[in-house]
This record gives sequence, C-alpha cells and structure tokens, in this order.
Amino acid sequence: MSTTTTPPPGVSAQDLARLAEHWAERPSLRGWFSTVDHKRIGRRYLVTAGFFFVLAGLSALVMRTQLARPEAGVVSPQEYNQLFSMHGTAMIFLFATPMLFGFGNFLVPLMIGSRDMAFPRLNAFGYWVFLFAGLFMWASLPFGAAPNNGWFAYAPLNQEQHNPGLHMDVYALGLLFLGISTTAASINFIVTALKLRAPGMSLNRVPLFVWAIVATAFMVIFALPALNADNLMLFLDRRFGTHFFDPSAGGNVLLWQHLFWIFGHPDVYIIVMPALGIVSAVLPAFTRRGVVGYPLIVLSIVSISIISFGVWVHHMFATGLPQLSYSFFSAASTIITIPSGIQIFAWLATMLLGRLVLRVPLLFVIGFVVTFVLGGFTGAMFAVTAFDQQVTDSYFVVAHFHYVLIGGAVFPMLAGIYYWLPKITGRMYHERLGRWAFWLVFAGMHVTFFPMHLYGLFGMPRRVYTYRSEPGWDGWNLVSTLGSYLLAVGLLLVLVGVVHAVRRGRPAPPDPWEGDSLEWSTASPPEPYNFPALPRVHSLHPAWDERTAESLGAGATADRILSDGRRTLVTSELDAHPERAVQMPESTLKPLVLAGALLIFFTSMLLAWYPAAAVAALAVVATIAVWLWPPRRPDEELGVTG
Amino acid sequence: MTTRPGPHARLTGGLLLWYGVLGGAVAWGVHVFAAWGLDELACAAGSERVAAVPLWQAVGLAVVIPALFTVGSLLVAALVWRRTRRAGEDDRAFGRSRMLAVVGVWSNLLFLAIIVLGGVAVLVLPPCQG
Amino acid sequence: MSDRGGVVAAATGAEALSTELPVGRSAGWWGMVMFVATEATLFACLLGSYFYLRFQYGPTWPPAGIEAPKLLTPLVMTAVLVPSSLPVVWAERGIRQGQRWRLQSGLAATMVLGVTFLALQASEYAEKLTQFTMTTDAYGSLFYLITGFHGLHVMVGLTMIGWLLAASLRGGSFGSHRHERVRNAAMYWHFVDLVWVAILFTIYLSPRL
Repeated sequence: MSTTTTPPPGVSAQDLARLAEHWAERPSLRGWFSTVDHKRIGRRYLVTAGFFFVLAGLSALVMRTQLARPEAGVVSPQEYNQLFSMHGTAMIFLFATPMLFGFGNFLVPLMIGSRDMAFPRLNAFGYWVFLFAGLFMWASLPFGAAPNNGWFAYAPLNQEQHNPGLHMDVYALGLLFLGISTTAASINFIVTALKLRAPGMSLNRVPLFVWAIVATAFMVIFALPALNADNLMLFLDRRFGTHFFDPSAGGNVLLWQHLFWIFGHPDVYIIVMPALGIVSAVLPAFTRRGVVGYPLIVLSIVSISIISFGVWVHHMFATGLPQLSYSFFSAASTIITIPSGIQIFAWLATMLLGRLVLRVPLLFVIGFVVTFVLGGFTGAMFAVTAFDQQVTDSYFVVAHFHYVLIGGAVFPMLAGIYYWLPKITGRMYHERLGRWAFWLVFAGMHVTFFPMHLYGLFGMPRRVYTYRSEPGWDGWNLVSTLGSYLLAVGLLLVLVGVVHAVRRGRPAPPDPWEGDSLEWSTASPPEPYNFPALPRVHSLHPAWDERTAESLGAGATADRILSDGRRTLVTSELDAHPERAVQMPESTLKPLVLAGALLIFFTSMLLAWYPAAAVAALAVVATIAVWLWPPRRPDEELGVTG
Repeated sequence: MTTRPGPHARLTGGLLLWYGVLGGAVAWGVHVFAAWGLDELACAAGSERVAAVPLWQAVGLAVVIPALFTVGSLLVAALVWRRTRRAGEDDRAFGRSRMLAVVGVWSNLLFLAIIVLGGVAVLVLPPCQG
Repeated sequence: MSDRGGVVAAATGAEALSTELPVGRSAGWWGMVMFVATEATLFACLLGSYFYLRFQYGPTWPPAGIEAPKLLTPLVMTAVLVPSSLPVVWAERGIRQGQRWRLQSGLAATMVLGVTFLALQASEYAEKLTQFTMTTDAYGSLFYLITGFHGLHVMVGLTMIGWLLAASLRGGSFGSHRHERVRNAAMYWHFVDLVWVAILFTIYLSPRL
C-alpha cells in the first residue's frame, strides 16, 4: 500500500493522493472490524472457508483412520455419525460455496472495472454472518451435539422422537443462519454485475467468471428458499410439536426430500458453476488465446442454471409417482448434459488451438478435466435404473460425488489459488513446491477414491462406522486411507506454498501471467480504490486490448478518475453506458453488530432462551433501522416543494 | 432503415429480444409445472379426467402449447440474429443483441428438445401408471 | 410509417431489437427486486408444501375435527390489506413531485390499514385457537405457519413504513431527488399484499373448491 506509486500518465499525483485519502482504511483494530473493502472481505472469505475446509478434512482423516482396518475403535458410532455429517455439511455449505464466493468477492469488482461491490456494507455483513454461522455449527462438535443425520438429513430420522438432543436443531438453525449470508452475497453479486461494470463492458464483453458467479447467484436466489422452508419446518417440528413430516398426523416424510432436492440439485451446480468459471478464467493466460466459443459457454452457463431447477425428481425415482410425470424430469436430466458437455469441449478446443504454458494453475485445470470427466462418467451410469438400485447408498456413490466435487470444485479452486495468489498477496508462489503439491493432491485423490468404486461394487454401504473383515473390503479400505493421508500431505503443501509466498515470495508484477481480464490491469495487490482511473472497455479481452489499456493510462478522463470523494461509476444494465457517479459507503461497525445480534438470536433459539431471542430480534431490527437512517439534508438538495 | 425507431417500436423490439432469449425457458417452466401438476394431482385424486377432458389430452395441451411458444421464441431469436449481422467491433448494442440471439437460438433448441422428449411420453404411457 | 407493416418493420429492425431494456434502474431497485424474488420463492415453497400435504392426505381436507375455514374474516382482511397499497402509490407519486405532506399522509393511512389487518388476524387466531392449534395436526401446522409467516411479513412491512414516516417527519430525508427508499419499501409492501392474495386462495378458498 504505497502512496508513492508513480501515477499513470493520465492521472495526476494529486488525484492519486486524493483517491488514497478517500479509500484508504487506517490500520487499526477498529479498522479491521469495520472494513467494507471487497478485497479484504474476499480474502477473509477465502481464509475462513479454508479454515472450515481444514476442519472438515480432519474429520475425514479421522473417519479414514477408523476405516483403515476392520472393527477398529478409534471413534464410537455416535461420534462417527457426527463426523460424517459435519464433514458433508461443512464441505458443501461452509467450504465450497463460501470459498467460491470469496473468489467472487475479490475478483468480480476487479474484473468488471469497479471500485467495490454494489452494497459494500451488506458484503461485510455477509462475511460476518458466514463466520458466525460456521463457528455456530462447528462449536457443537466438542459438545457432542453436532448434526448426525448426514448432510441431507432425511426425515423421519431428523425428527425429535427418533433423534433427540440438539444435533438436528444445530443443523436447521445453522443452515438458516448461514442462508442469510449466502442470500445477501448473491443479491450483491447480481446487482454489482448489472450496475457497476466499467463503461463499454456490454453483456457480450463480460468475463466468463462473472457470468458464472451471476448465474450461481440467481440459482441461490431461487433455490435456497426451498432449503430454508425445509429447515424452518424441521425446527418447528422438533421444537414446537408441529407435524409437517409426521405421517401419523397428516404430514409426509417425502416433503422433506422434495424441498431438499429442489434446493439440492441446483446446489450441485451452485458449487460447480463458479469453479467452472475459474477454469474459463485461468485458461486464456496459459493457452495464450481466448476461450473458444464464448457465446456457447454463456449459453451453457445460463441454460444449466435454469434447467437445474427441473431435474430434482431424479433423486427420487424410487418414491412411487406416476411414470408419466417422471418423463418430464428425465427429459430435462438428459438434456442438461449437453450444455455441460459444451463447456468441456470448448476448454479442450482452447487447449488444442492455444499454446500451452504448463504452470501449476494449468496442471490443476488438466487434473480437473480428467477427474471431473471420470465423475461425470460414473454419474451417467446411475441413469441405468437397475445399476442405480444396486449401488445406491454404497461406497460407489461416495466415490462418484467425490470425483465430481473434488474434480469439479476443489481442483479449479486450487488452480484459482495459484493463479490469483500474485494478485491477492502481491507475491509469487514457489513453482516447484506447487508442482509437488499438484502431483500429491492428484495422486492422493485418485488413490483415495478410486478404490471406493470397487468396494462399493463389492457391497460396502456408506456411513457405516466399521465393517467385518469381508473378502475384498479391508485391503482396498487400507489403500483408501493411505491415499487420504497422501491427499492431506498434498493439501498441506498447498498451504505451505501460500504461507511461503506471503512470507518469502518474490514481489509479483501487476500482470505476471499476461492474463486477459481487467484484474491484471491494476497493481498487485490492488490499491484500495482498485483502479486509479476506471477503464473504458473495448473488447472481450480488455487486458490484451490496447485501447482499453490506453483508457487506463494516457486516455484517463476526470469522469472515470472520480477522485473527489469515495466514488465509483454506475452504468446501464445491458450495454454499460455511464449513468452517474455514486458515493460509496465508508467503513462501519454496524454489519458486525448486526451479525452479532443474529448470532445471539440463533444461539438463544438453539438453547431455548426465548426471552433472550426476543431481545436479540429487537436488536436486529434496531440495528437495521439505524444502519439505513438517512442523513439530514437541506430541502433544496432533496427537492421538497411543500 | 433510415429513420430511428420511435419509443413504441423500441419497447416492442426490446421485449421481442427477451422473448427470443428467454421464451423457451419460460415455456419449459410452465410446461413442467402444468404437465407434472396435472398428472400428479389428477392421479392422486384417482381420476383420469380433468373436468370433462381426458387427462392425457390435458397433459398433451400442456406439452403442445409451450412447445409452440418455444418455436415462436426460436424464430424471433433467429430473426434477431439475422438483423444484427452488421454488428461491428464497436457497435456494442448490436454485438450484445447478437450474442443474446445466439444464446437464444441454442437455448430454445435445448428447451424445445426437452419439451418434445418429455411430451412424447404422453403418447406412450397411460397417464396414471405407477 | 403509420401503417401496420411499418410499425412491425420498425419494431423488428436491428436498432429496435437492440434497445436496452431494462435500463437506468438503480442498484437499490435491483437489490429490492432480488430480495422480493427470493422471498416470493420462499412463500411459493410454503404454499407448495400446503398443496403437497393436502393432496397426499386424502379426500377430507381439512382433516376430520376441523371445519373448513370461514370466509367472512379473511375477506374483510383482504378488503383492508389489498387497498392499502393505494395510499403507498399515492405517497410515492407525491414525494416524486416533492410533496412531503402526501408522503406523510399516505404512509399514515397505510399504517392504519396494516395495523387493522393485524388486529383482524389476531381476532381470527383467537377464534381458531379454541378449535385447533399448530400441534393438532399437519393442517394446523400449515395454517399457522403460513398465515403467521405472512403476518410477520406484514409486521416487517409496517416497520419499514413506520421507519419512512419517522424519517419523513424528522425532515431532511426525502424529496423529489431522493425517494429511493420510499420506492423500495413500497415495492416490499405491494409484495406483501400480493402474497396475501395467494394465501387467501390457498388457505381459505381452495378447501371449498
């Protein structure tokens, strides 16, 4: 954060000083808690999600240790139930989506040439809620009260009479709490991408990563309410004696499944879509060309995000509905593979037509393609009903979705970490360390999960805390366990690489990869105001485009420098014509206070301290009212006539 | 085109563009809800008729009408694609419309395929066979 | 260009087809639209659950022991709540022209109607609770969850309206150049009204069909 950087040709030193004055946040404890800078919030999302990933990963290691040998006694059955439930819940809700939203938070404003998100304070609020909800859920584990019903928590096992204790209350309340954060972040992404794109960035020039994040956000907006309704009813059933899932009083256990999968199937794409966006963002730099078929990838992103809402019944083909109504959902489930295939072939064509630069991010992208395609292949096998019924709830399913999720989400994230580390930290990573990490992660992943296909086919059910020494099970289980340690060492090397880069890495230039999108047109790490002058975008690859580069330097004009205040530019929705400059909010503690009040509310609800919950709810309302209270302005400025 | 279109023409044109891009998606959404809902509810009520209409015909209508709506959307998308052919590097609005038209053409084909593939089952399966 | 063909030609010309639409909305407007969209989906899920449980339950609905809901109170509630959007519209138009008195009186009128609605709902609950509660069966659970959740939304809407009224009475808050929050709160209030119509149909009218 030097203020002595030489200004680009079109921006005067005074402008730069004024921008620094308006945007800089003094390094203090209060400043740390009150920041609204999307880059700091994005970094926090990444670090916090990484922390939850470590916790969920350690849970998995404990489980693998337990399963290394038949009839081992490392953990009790009850502890094992909580471990696999927290592992799944945390990986899906506390790691995958927040990690990708962390990338989105850091990158979207930079990629679209803006100075912050559309609602910076809401952004800070979203982070704090995510942090608190994650701690809320994990804190139950040491008390032996963690969720214990698997990540999809089917009824009737999630009901009070079958599952007493706080376990599933933690699940229901924790996910409702977290949902606030996810929804807030999604609204923010959509509005940011609609209104804050740099002038000239019409829809046909929006980076694919931004398309992916926005499509994800739309899916969250329309899918998450189903999960929230489900969890609300679950909590009411458990705590206040309602009967939504109770067949003896007119309820129905399948209602849980319907609502869960209305959310759950889009959620698969909510996790994978932004990761695919990372792949589309990483490839141009390492193939030295744009991704092949930009409009087709946009088509694929948009159509997947819509069709994903029409396939949920395929999780429930065994529940006895009329055959004819299945056919409408089967058709959607079949066709949705076409846009997914389009993306894979577009990337392969990009690699084929481009000139490959084999650095660590590209290695992870290649690892992604291999692993994800294998996961997709086993996924297609489930479409054969006879086979599906044979392997349902066996380790074959576990193998399948770990191939999809590690292949489809974790590998692209790791590619993204190495790719953007120079931008985020301003330091280069150690290439050889990164290669070691890649090969260990890749090998560890396949050694762990490939055998699961086999002992799944041999009949080993998932979610059992131990097994007898059956022929064919124990040897492969040991292989899986050894593989999981290998995978852990690989992931540890990724962490070591990040720490090494932050501590010892050589300083990164603004554009170490000669990337194509706008984040590479600014300093590494970017100044608090992101761009001394907001760019004027002339093509789909603005960083490869001389006219855009000129608009950032010699061609910078006052209407895009906006140094008199904390301001950024609002542009029109489709074609990004400049509309007006808007004032951006200053740093504030209110988001933290609001999230804290919500934490008190949810904790009180969990522990049945209802008066405290009521007080906390009032505090929430009061904080929002004060937060939004308008400053007093003179009548002339407001335009009041009578 | 020598004169600039008036406000009404612009509004119609703007709406037409979105019909071309999203028409298929909307039609498919309506189709799934209507066809699935009709079939499920009528069968759950133990009847193979909706009012006076046989159930398979009612479900068939919930297939044919959205399919026709999607075909219309496809034609509009193709029209937009043709009309915006002279999109230059600098003509942002034309370039954007043209990209949306490409997205519209392909997505309408996808949604038409889904509707038709699902709808064929109406001819094959008795509506309430479990 | 006056004939029909000319109009069609104009509307399908490249320029008309490239019209930017939507355009010029503010960030706050989009934020509220997205928020309302996600809330509407939540209500759709709850109402969908109602129909799902109802049709899985069997021929008699509401279940034996609970009579079909009476229509008088809910229709009066509808007659109170749905027109309450009109003063909001009127108030919003007023402040766009800088007329603060219209904003204040319109919001106050809506407050009165909204509070009346809640009072009617309370009296309906008082009557229903003697008959069945949330724990009686799934019908009771659905009835109280859906109407209660909507009542909560009315309360949130009233808080917004009261907040606007307070800010407006303090002065220096809204005028013809600054009325975005009025519009956003109005949008939310209209949404709460529309949801009530869907609830009226689902809970009160559909058991009689």
